[in-house]
Amino acid sequence: MPPSVGWIWLVVLLPFAGFVANGLLSFLKPSAKRAVSTIGVGVLVAAFGLAVAVVLGVARDPNDAPYLIHLWNWLPVGDLNIGVTFQVDQLSSVMLMVITGVGTLIHIFSIGYMREDDGYARYFAYLNLFIFFMLILVLGASFPLLFVGWEGVGLCSYLLIGFWYTEKANADAGKKAFIMNRIGDFGFLIAMFMIYRATGTLNFTEVFATAPQVFQVAGPAITAITLFLFLGCTGKSAQIPLYTWLPDAMAGPTPVSALIHAATMVTAGVYLVARTNMLFAMAPVSSAVVATVGAVTALWAASIALKQWDIKKVLAYSTVSQLGYMFLGVGVGAYASGVFHLVTHAFFKALLFLGSGSVIHAMHKAYHHTHRHDDAQDMRNMGGLRHWMPWTTGVMWVATLAIAGVPGFSGFFSKDEILAAAFARGQEHWLFYLLWVLGTVAAFLTAFYMARLMLYTFHGPNRTGEAEREHLHEAPWVMTGPLLVLAAGSAIGGLLNLPEVLPGAGWLEHWLAPVTSGSGLYLPEAALAHGTEWTLLLVATLLALGGLYAAWHFLKPEALTTAAEAPAETGFGLVLNRKYYIDEIYQGVIVRPLVWLSDRLLWRTVDKGVIDGAAVNGSAWALRGLGWVGSLLESGAVGWYVVVFVTGVLGLLYFVAR
Amino acid sequence: MTAFLNAIGYGHWVLDALLVLPLLAALLVMVTPERHAKHVAFWATVVEFVVSIGLWWAFDPHMSGMQFEVIRPWIAAYGISYHVGVDGISLFMVLLSTLTMPLAVLGSWKYITSKERAYYALMLVLTTGMLGVFMALDLFLFYVFWELMLIPMYFIIGVWGGSRRLYAAIKFFIYTFVGSLLMLVAILFVYMTVGAHTGVYSFAYGHLLANAGLVRQWTFWLFGAFALAFAIKVPMFPFHTWLPDAHVEAPTAGSVILAGILLKMGTYGFLRFAIPLFPHAAFDPTVSAVVVTLAVVGIIYGALVAMVQPDFKKLIAYSSVSHLGFVMLGIWAVTVQSVSGAIIIMINHGISTGALFLLVGMIYERRHSREIAVYGGIARAMPMFAAILTLVSLSSIGLPGTNGFVGEFLVLLGAFQTHPWAAGIATSGVIFAAAYLLWAIQRVLFNREPDAENAKLPELSKRELVVLAPLVACILWIGLYPQPILHRIEATTSGWVAQMQRASHERGSTEGLVVRDDR
Amino acid sequence: MIRLFGVNLGSPGGAALALLPEILVIATALVSMLVAAWRHADERAQRTVGGLSLVGLVAALVVVIWFWVAGLSAAVGIPQMVTLDPFRYALDVVFLLGAIGTVLLSLGYLGRERILIPEYYVLLLFATVGMMLMGGASDLLVLFLGLEVMSVSVYVLAGIQRRSAVSAEAALKYFLLGAFASGFLLYGIALLYGATGTTNLYLINLQLRGGAGDHGLMLVFGVALLLVGLGFKVSAAPFHMWAPDVYDGSPTPVTGYMATAVKAAGFAALVRVLVTGFGDAPGIWQHLVFWLAILTMLTGNLVALAQRNVKRMLAYSSIAHAGYLLVAVACGTALGGSALVFYVFAYTLMTLGAFGVLGVAGRGGEREVRIDDLSGLAKRRPWVALAMAIFMLSLLGFPGTAGFIGKWFILTAALGAGQQALAIVLVLTSVVSAGYYLPVVMAMYMKDEAEPGTIEQAGYRLGAGARAVVFAAALLIVAFGVWPSQALSLANQGGKALRPAPPPVIVLPKD
Repeated sequence: MPPSVGWIWLVVLLPFAGFVANGLLSFLKPSAKRAVSTIGVGVLVAAFGLAVAVVLGVARDPNDAPYLIHLWNWLPVGDLNIGVTFQVDQLSSVMLMVITGVGTLIHIFSIGYMREDDGYARYFAYLNLFIFFMLILVLGASFPLLFVGWEGVGLCSYLLIGFWYTEKANADAGKKAFIMNRIGDFGFLIAMFMIYRATGTLNFTEVFATAPQVFQVAGPAITAITLFLFLGCTGKSAQIPLYTWLPDAMAGPTPVSALIHAATMVTAGVYLVARTNMLFAMAPVSSAVVATVGAVTALWAASIALKQWDIKKVLAYSTVSQLGYMFLGVGVGAYASGVFHLVTHAFFKALLFLGSGSVIHAMHKAYHHTHRHDDAQDMRNMGGLRHWMPWTTGVMWVATLAIAGVPGFSGFFSKDEILAAAFARGQEHWLFYLLWVLGTVAAFLTAFYMARLMLYTFHGPNRTGEAEREHLHEAPWVMTGPLLVLAAGSAIGGLLNLPEVLPGAGWLEHWLAPVTSGSGLYLPEAALAHGTEWTLLLVATLLALGGLYAAWHFLKPEALTTAAEAPAETGFGLVLNRKYYIDEIYQGVIVRPLVWLSDRLLWRTVDKGVIDGAAVNGSAWALRGLGWVGSLLESGAVGWYVVVFVTGVLGLLYFVAR
Repeated sequence: MTAFLNAIGYGHWVLDALLVLPLLAALLVMVTPERHAKHVAFWATVVEFVVSIGLWWAFDPHMSGMQFEVIRPWIAAYGISYHVGVDGISLFMVLLSTLTMPLAVLGSWKYITSKERAYYALMLVLTTGMLGVFMALDLFLFYVFWELMLIPMYFIIGVWGGSRRLYAAIKFFIYTFVGSLLMLVAILFVYMTVGAHTGVYSFAYGHLLANAGLVRQWTFWLFGAFALAFAIKVPMFPFHTWLPDAHVEAPTAGSVILAGILLKMGTYGFLRFAIPLFPHAAFDPTVSAVVVTLAVVGIIYGALVAMVQPDFKKLIAYSSVSHLGFVMLGIWAVTVQSVSGAIIIMINHGISTGALFLLVGMIYERRHSREIAVYGGIARAMPMFAAILTLVSLSSIGLPGTNGFVGEFLVLLGAFQTHPWAAGIATSGVIFAAAYLLWAIQRVLFNREPDAENAKLPELSKRELVVLAPLVACILWIGLYPQPILHRIEATTSGWVAQMQRASHERGSTEGLVVRDDR
Repeated sequence: MIRLFGVNLGSPGGAALALLPEILVIATALVSMLVAAWRHADERAQRTVGGLSLVGLVAALVVVIWFWVAGLSAAVGIPQMVTLDPFRYALDVVFLLGAIGTVLLSLGYLGRERILIPEYYVLLLFATVGMMLMGGASDLLVLFLGLEVMSVSVYVLAGIQRRSAVSAEAALKYFLLGAFASGFLLYGIALLYGATGTTNLYLINLQLRGGAGDHGLMLVFGVALLLVGLGFKVSAAPFHMWAPDVYDGSPTPVTGYMATAVKAAGFAALVRVLVTGFGDAPGIWQHLVFWLAILTMLTGNLVALAQRNVKRMLAYSSIAHAGYLLVAVACGTALGGSALVFYVFAYTLMTLGAFGVLGVAGRGGEREVRIDDLSGLAKRRPWVALAMAIFMLSLLGFPGTAGFIGKWFILTAALGAGQQALAIVLVLTSVVSAGYYLPVVMAMYMKDEAEPGTIEQAGYRLGAGARAVVFAAALLIVAFGVWPSQALSLANQGGKALRPAPPPVIVLPKD
């Protein structure tokens, strides 16, 4: 084991130390913002440096087997032995880079974004804590340890979404996120129990080693396990049906949206599938489900994004949609491609969010100066911002082109590989062709809504208002700096894994090969003829450009009015704007009935009425009643007493006589 | 440490000391002036804890049997003796009790303003009663302790309780009394029958356990009598309705002890007496089906009802019903994991729920209301309180990294091996738990303050932090490094499980033994 | 020729020795009657007579204990009229303690209630003698004799408060119904004589064992009627109707006396007759007692629930306890007898104590004492309240009190005798009893004084005597609750005596 790998525990510990320090500061000396930012960012930079060392170590080492760094025994009971053990391998290295790298940038950005906030220390404490849990998630060598990170990041997301907790809406959003994730976690837990029941262990390496013996391919056990696992993924990675929390999660500070709800946490589900690719590969049905859900979600969310006005909401639904792509990828067995898209998406979506962050930052300042209380996130109040924020505009365009899948940019390659993989599987079943179609249409919509966003935000006339206009400013360097780095990533990230037809292709794929090799046995060899591949590339390009063009051609920013006097949506536009009323449906079909059931039926009727009222107090009253009747017999009249007496005597005599 | 303890003969006198100290302290309290009563009580409980903590090292983790046993004849003519001992199951119940008491006393510091002497004396008597229940190895003695701790609690609720305290107190008393008297009959029946057959009339646990086979033909009735007594204490659905009233009316410390320790007596009773004495009844397919069902119902039902409680204390009370449901499930699943998990949950519930009640008590002292609706937005005024309440709630939700997860995970993991469906349904409890607690803390800590008063509530005092600190520490410790505890209970639990599985083999039912069908 | 302490038991002197305790008490009674007649009916006279009777009772107690310790017992095989066995001694101790307690309670009470009738104590003494005869009787005639002596005196005691109509009513009721019951008892004895040709329990037992003395109608009717007569004295349902009214009407100390000693005497006779006389033919009576017990437990406990007046509540509670004691009787075993002895003892302590507190609880000792009148007692009279709480818990049968040990003993006996049903009914009804004992505790500790001043006249000022009784009782209850071994073994001696083995060989005494 290369020495640097042995230091992995420090990579994990550093953010935690940051959390502790900043947490204490938030109580003892909240004003010490300089110290807070030094600590908060410092630990991340250090962690990133170490992580690089670790990954280099892994890269240099010829052997492919994962390194297990055992720290201490956690749950040793009977034949169950779960340790706090980190697993460093090719997959976790990739995640390690993304988390610490992008994480660092976002931490830096936050210094500028959160400067004026009272909860500065608390914010950085949470952010550090999140990184800590995220690292546990990707480094955990067993399902339970992964689950620790899994729920831990959920907790941080809960805390950060509700960061400005005095707004009920924010607190609600946080709660919603946590509970919906819990629904997913329920699946995760069940999956773990089934795995343990089947294999008698929960450590990844052992599980994957025993899996071939204990499961028969496509058998009920493995299918159930993987489906339950995927239920967990739908919660964490906001897929149908558990996606509705993510858009609400935008209530948190924008850097949080970038880090947690775009780049890292929400991709945990994809990571999980990639990590357990062996199990999924053994369960073709489940894989198909994963792919289908992914593709449908991609299209579904993209369509909603078309009609959102809140700039962050657009990006949120775009995230859901992009996650859909990743699941499509891992669903069709192209695990490397899924991870690849995860990485590129981390770049460009983080960039988009941070960009929108700096826009919102500027809008806020502007409104703040004139004490206006309009919505600083509504694109209808923006427009033409490119004049005031050139840098932001620039980088945002890079990201847009990347996500839209314009050739040369990172998104183009990653998205195309996924679609290609789906198409390739079409030979064995028509379903995959259908999925390919869905994905492709979604790609078109993606290009469209992103162009729409850029158009309404940065181009056309400005709608912010006369007085406010001159207060609009570009963000400080501490914020734009990270944007530039991410822009670079979004632009050239594609080089990580070029398509087969190009030279130097598939680097990431080879890198991940050791992790995905196990599943190779169970996956059909689906290669595309180069001709087909070129065609697909061409189609993708056309769609991307077509989308952009369509937006450019059909949307009229000049005609747009500010949010205040905007006309009401109508027809299908309204349906999209209201997100297909899914929230309302969930509320009406699940939440309210459940509360009603608990309140009226279970508590007031069963608990108070039947059990306590009738059974418990009822019996007490019945006894008292009997006693009262008995005391009525005590009339005080001797005659009556004699009667009773004699009856008793006769009774006795009758008894003995017989 | 161990060497030192051996040097002072710790193992020989510790249990006696633990039982006698509080009583002496109670007398001392009665004669100290009113205003010093609490100090005396506090230091007494601290000493008690310090004495008990030695058990941690003195206890031999590799022995599955009883340790530190003490036997003295009491009513020799009827085979009644003062016989106490500790094993892996009771060890932590004892430690939990001794840990809880000082905190409970501190928790009453400001809350109790009248008749302090009597109050603290009762608390100390209660300590002896509870410890006695966990240590007793003579069924007569056990019964006496079991009833004895009823009286102090009855007074604590009835004298220092809330507005409906009289109702709550007598309900608590009679509810428990019903079960325990039937249990007394059952105990005597076993005693007489075993005596008649073996010629040895003795209430000694070991003796009755060894000859429990002699009462085979009545085993269902006897188990029923024991089970009722314990099921009420746990409390299992549908015997739980005394709990909300008792909790709501009791003073903070009362609730803490009630939830933290008294409820455990029920589950402990099952582990120690009801099941080992009558395994054939306990693991009869029908019986175990009923118990497991009730446990699962309790988990879901408790959570759902807790969700809609307007009163924070009631909410916690119902959450207890839910948590204890997990314990029952774990016990009846009879796997090493699930039983160990059950014991861990018994510990956790004491810590987390105890902390919750303390926290509620703290805001009650500031705002004089338990209504959730009254609060809101107090995280701004009391960040420290908010942080701790959130952490404790998360542990109660069972967030990984906190103690709550360790217990629930082990129970469910183990239970899934023998009762997959029940465990599966029970697992959904984690969703509801999150629902009711997060909703509650949101309405208490977050949102906008409904009125100005919440904005200027004083932050936690030093004393209050001292009360909470150990509990918080335990939450994290057990969450991250439970091995020392698991290590100490494992020998006992695996021994227990082995026996019970043998028993359920005998009766030819496959209930309660691990089947790995896919293997 | 049976000799004992050098005295021929057959000779008058021997009989005198055997009856020494009774003789002592009677002597005291006669002396005090003279004194009472001599002096005017004023407090001082009252006190002197009271003191005198105390001396007599204590003396008798000492003698009884001496008998017991000396192990004085009848010569095997002689069919005595009065037994010399631990059972008698044990019960005598109970009666004498009960009487002593009552005297001590009365000392203060009578003065406060202006009941200036020195004969009060005389009657008390006579009643006690009656009881002692009942406890010792091994012959139905002696039993009847004792019963009547006791009853007549108690009738008068019940009505001793001439000015109070209630008291008079109580006395009359008691007398009428009592006479009625005695009739049945007597007739029962007659029938038994007809069936067996003897009134001596040992001889009856011998006949039954010998298979002679057919279980014909005459015999069983005799037993049944005997049961009626004694069932009335112990206020077993359905012959209990008099009890509440009489207990309620009589002066509190007398009530206490009736609830304890009188009941004890009734049970002594009952168990002696059934176990010693008919122990080998349980078929005749066991199922009767079974049903009586169940009925009594239910009636007593349920109706007590509905009472607001403490005195009446205690009256019903005493009925309930009669039910528990009947369970012990129903066992028909020596163990059952032992349980009965212990329970009677414990029960006497707690009930006497409770009435002692009650005697000073009434508004100026007036009879209506509602449970709420006890509100806040703990604040004003912590020690009295504590004692009362102990009595209530003991009556409830709570661990740590003699009441619990007693109940446990009865339960053990019942289960030993295969009476599971009775055991279960016993515990369930005990649960019900919590419904009326606890409110007393609640009132004292958990409620604040209702309307202040209502109770101040009486003010719970226990006289020296009463204080002694109440606190002694409380202490003993706790003591026997925690260290019952001694008491239990004594009770066992008592119980064993009921089934004498080896079977008595009849040697007719000749001079």
